[in-house]
Amino acid sequence: MADGTPQWAVPPEQQQHRQQQAQQRPDYAAQRPPAAQAAPTAPPQAPPSGGAAVVSPPPSAGAPKVNKFNRIAQMEEKVLVTRTRDEETEDGRLVNKEAMTKIRDAWVYKRVRSRVREFTSYRQALCFVGTWNVNAKGKEESLDEWICADWGQNGQYAPDVVAVGFQEIVDLNAVNVAVDNKTQQRSQFWVERLNATLNSPSRTQNDPNRGYILMMQRSMVGLLICLFVKNPHRQRVKAVSADSVGVGVMGMMGNKGGVAIRLNFYDSTLCFVCAHMAAHRENVVGRNADFMNVLSKATFDVGEQTVRENIRNGSLSQWALGSGSLGIADHDMVFWLGDLNYRIDESLPTETVLLLAERGAIDKLRTLDQLNIERSEGRVFEGFEEGILSFVPTYKYQPGTDKFEQRPEKKLRAPAWCDRILWSAQEPAYVQQLTYKRSERPNCSDHKPVYSTLRFTVKDVNAQRRESIYKELFALLERYDNRSLPAISLDKSELNFGEVRYNQSVTLSLRIANTGPSCASYRFVPKIDESTLSKSWMSVFPTYGMLVPGEQPGVVTVTVTIDNNTAKLLNAGREVLKDTLILRLENGREYYVSIKGTFARSCFGMSLDQLVLYKDPIHTIALDAIQRAEQFPNENEVSPSNALCIPKELWRLVDAMYEKGLSTPDLFTNHGNPEEVVIIREALDSGSAFGVFSIHSYAEAFTSFLTSLSAPVIPTTVFPNTEINAENIQAMTRRLLEELPPIHYNVLVYIISFFREVLLHSEKNHLTAAKLAHICLKHCAPADVVMDSAMMQRRAGMSLILIHLLVTSSI
Amino acid sequence: MAQRVHHFKLVLLGDTAVGKSCLVVRFVRDEFFEFQEPTIGAAFLTQTVQLDESTVKFEIWDTAGQERYRSLAPMYYRGASAAVIVYDITNPDSFNGAKSWVKELQRRGDPNVVIALAGNKADLESRRKVEFEEANAYAEENGILHLETSAKNANNVKALFVEIAKKLPKNPPQPEREAFPIAAPQQTTNNCC
Ligand SMILES: Nc1nc2c(ncn2[C@@H]2O[C@H](COP(=O)(O)OP(=O)(O)OP(=O)(O)O)[C@@H](O)[C@H]2O)c(=O)[nH]1
Ligand SMILES: [Mg+2]
Repeated sequence: MADGTPQWAVPPEQQQHRQQQAQQRPDYAAQRPPAAQAAPTAPPQAPPSGGAAVVSPPPSAGAPKVNKFNRIAQMEEKVLVTRTRDEETEDGRLVNKEAMTKIRDAWVYKRVRSRVREFTSYRQALCFVGTWNVNAKGKEESLDEWICADWGQNGQYAPDVVAVGFQEIVDLNAVNVAVDNKTQQRSQFWVERLNATLNSPSRTQNDPNRGYILMMQRSMVGLLICLFVKNPHRQRVKAVSADSVGVGVMGMMGNKGGVAIRLNFYDSTLCFVCAHMAAHRENVVGRNADFMNVLSKATFDVGEQTVRENIRNGSLSQWALGSGSLGIADHDMVFWLGDLNYRIDESLPTETVLLLAERGAIDKLRTLDQLNIERSEGRVFEGFEEGILSFVPTYKYQPGTDKFEQRPEKKLRAPAWCDRILWSAQEPAYVQQLTYKRSERPNCSDHKPVYSTLRFTVKDVNAQRRESIYKELFALLERYDNRSLPAISLDKSELNFGEVRYNQSVTLSLRIANTGPSCASYRFVPKIDESTLSKSWMSVFPTYGMLVPGEQPGVVTVTVTIDNNTAKLLNAGREVLKDTLILRLENGREYYVSIKGTFARSCFGMSLDQLVLYKDPIHTIALDAIQRAEQFPNENEVSPSNALCIPKELWRLVDAMYEKGLSTPDLFTNHGNPEEVVIIREALDSGSAFGVFSIHSYAEAFTSFLTSLSAPVIPTTVFPNTEINAENIQAMTRRLLEELPPIHYNVLVYIISFFREVLLHSEKNHLTAAKLAHICLKHCAPADVVMDSAMMQRRAGMSLILIHLLVTSSI
Repeated sequence: MAQRVHHFKLVLLGDTAVGKSCLVVRFVRDEFFEFQEPTIGAAFLTQTVQLDESTVKFEIWDTAGQERYRSLAPMYYRGASAAVIVYDITNPDSFNGAKSWVKELQRRGDPNVVIALAGNKADLESRRKVEFEEANAYAEENGILHLETSAKNANNVKALFVEIAKKLPKNPPQPEREAFPIAAPQQTTNNCC
């Protein structure tokens, strides 16, 4: 790669070749060949701009090699700790809800993580990482050769994310370390240099989409890290946060340590750490400790919201929930760059190292690199990867030259790969290093700049799909959850009975299934302060039950019956067919079942005064009081001018019986055919013609019509209150007729006249005046269930008056 | 020292779709469903709040807000020590609804009931129709708690229940139980050598 061609521009066959070469290398680093593992076969594609390439996720390379400081790893390794103590339930069991929740959360999280592909689309992006120890130098020297080395001729491989770290932007003397006052100014200098380099008009060609924007910078004494993203991605960068950790003098000063920036890029979480670690060839232990300190101490206060979002996207363990901060390891990808200060093992004399470095014998040196040794021993950077060191050591140069520092007045130092770039990814296949090199320019420092371009996989989450997966998982859990909590499901929450008619019963059923894992005992309960389960026009059966898991659903039938009483209330607008049943699941929740229906209005159950108002069939008359007032403005003042003299329904029934002939035996004694009675009633209500029916059916419709009236034809108030005898019967009869309300008078006279006609056929129909008087009384003045003796006497008197009316012509 | 667990019945009231169930689910399970179905019935859940001094266990009744079930609400608020009355900051009608719930509770609920008014969906700032100040003034007038919450982004949800928990009386005769069944061994300071 001496020609500087980015690796992705190399045809695949050649890459293959290079890969083999890499694997043949006997040295340590070969076990982690950089780009070789998954050779890119196509040019990288920038995420959103142009074409929005959605790629399939890279295959997961077996068990992800997770950093053990990552909370995902912790989740599996850590002993479960709870803040709350166990509680004792009433039956003496110990429970700890927090522990239960945590274990469950871990399960959910595992499931979600295994399904991230269902709600995530994957895009490819390029990331440039650079590091340079500037040795407190810095003049107007071009950074292009370093920063833009991998951009390609027309900038076609310009990175999407740029992270650059500097060390020693100020001299690390005691004053600077303590006061930190020059740092600001020097940071600004480098940020501006980077900005000018990335956004130079010759590169952007004034296309804003090719420009870069600084998302964050962070400095501490000599350390500086800057993060830029390409303009089009700006909207998808969230929760940018930085922290610095000093591990220098006294374990806390800023002469050594790290500065770090983290961000959500699309829905991936990235963290960049720029570190300057302990110096001196022999101090390997100090460097290892610095790594550990920076790794464990850096925290980013991103807020609970971001933590939660990262968890939901599968980037972070559910156990981080409730925390508002993140650590370095809590990211999808971590890039660690800087002057890590690892040298060549001390077994090799300084002069030999210098000689080998000058000759470019890097294979030999690489095996003796302290970082490589420490990593292979598992003492530092666990879970991190690094590309093969294929460049000459970057330290220590004579500033402004390309020669190792060997001036006699200077202390002779063994060259070393102080300046390094490593990364760690939860999914190793999500990061592929394309280049890992040093840059020859700028050369004003005693270190050479190092850089790497990495291709990484960006997650883009479809939140709606993600939520539906969570919902699915929780629904699944809900079913198995907490075995003590039963669960049922009802097939309906509303029973609509539609139109229900007078004297009709309609039954609908409700199915109750046990959807829980334990016995479900349920029962219908009354509403607060009520003693019955429901309104009187409805009945429920059975009102309680139990289902074991897997049992056939229980069927509950609900029956609505419109009896005479209900019809009266419905007609008067004092009741509606609406109610709610409450089904209580013992030890669980309550379920409501709404009951509704409409009453199909009938002439049965109405009052005479109302009936005479309606010349049209009752079905056409609105039940609603307001609508009716519009239809019949004078409803409340019955007068001959606006009313019939008797209800037309009564007339139709009597007329039908006339036609059938009144000599039928046992008239008014035999029952009618119930189905015919219903049809006759419907015909009365709808105004349609009667069919051919038995006279007994008409007779029964006639008597039940009278009985159903909301106010009886003969109110008890007009019953005689003195004993009836031959002397007073005349007078009492007159008094009765006078006291009857007008329409009631009409109706009674009409019935008596009709019965007199019936009596003319008594030989055939076996009816007598006494029998007919009894029938008349029974239906025109229905008896109360309980009656005192005074009332019984008055009824008897009333009966005598009726006989009198039937046998004399006193009307 | 073993901590006391205080049990309190808490009821959620408010018009339909203001987010009562979402608030409870957020509080109890830290979940949020965009497509939460209307509650037809009453759901019972429990959740514990840890205070510095004590543990408060809420026995929560999540009621149905649909108008046709309104008459059933007394079943749940009767005997409740605390009530959360929820409205939706994007819906002024629901705020009026909340006020009528407050009235009903003051008239017919337990005289010592701790009431909190929760202006939910606070994440929908751009669609706000009920000003914070207006609701806050109303709450102050009535001597009740007031917070704006979001079940969606979890903002203030826990705080709401913690505020209520703090306000609830924790003196006997509250039924109390030891949270930790096995008493810590008696620390007898015995300086023997
Ligand atoms: N944006 C936003 N939406 C919310 C919030 N809380 C609830 N919602 C939405 O509002 C809808 C109704 O919420 P629910 O919790 O079912 O309302 P409810 O008050 O329980 O309604 P009922 O059960 O009918 O009384 C849900 O589908 C949510 O999508 C919130 O804090 N923010
Ligand atoms: Mg609800």
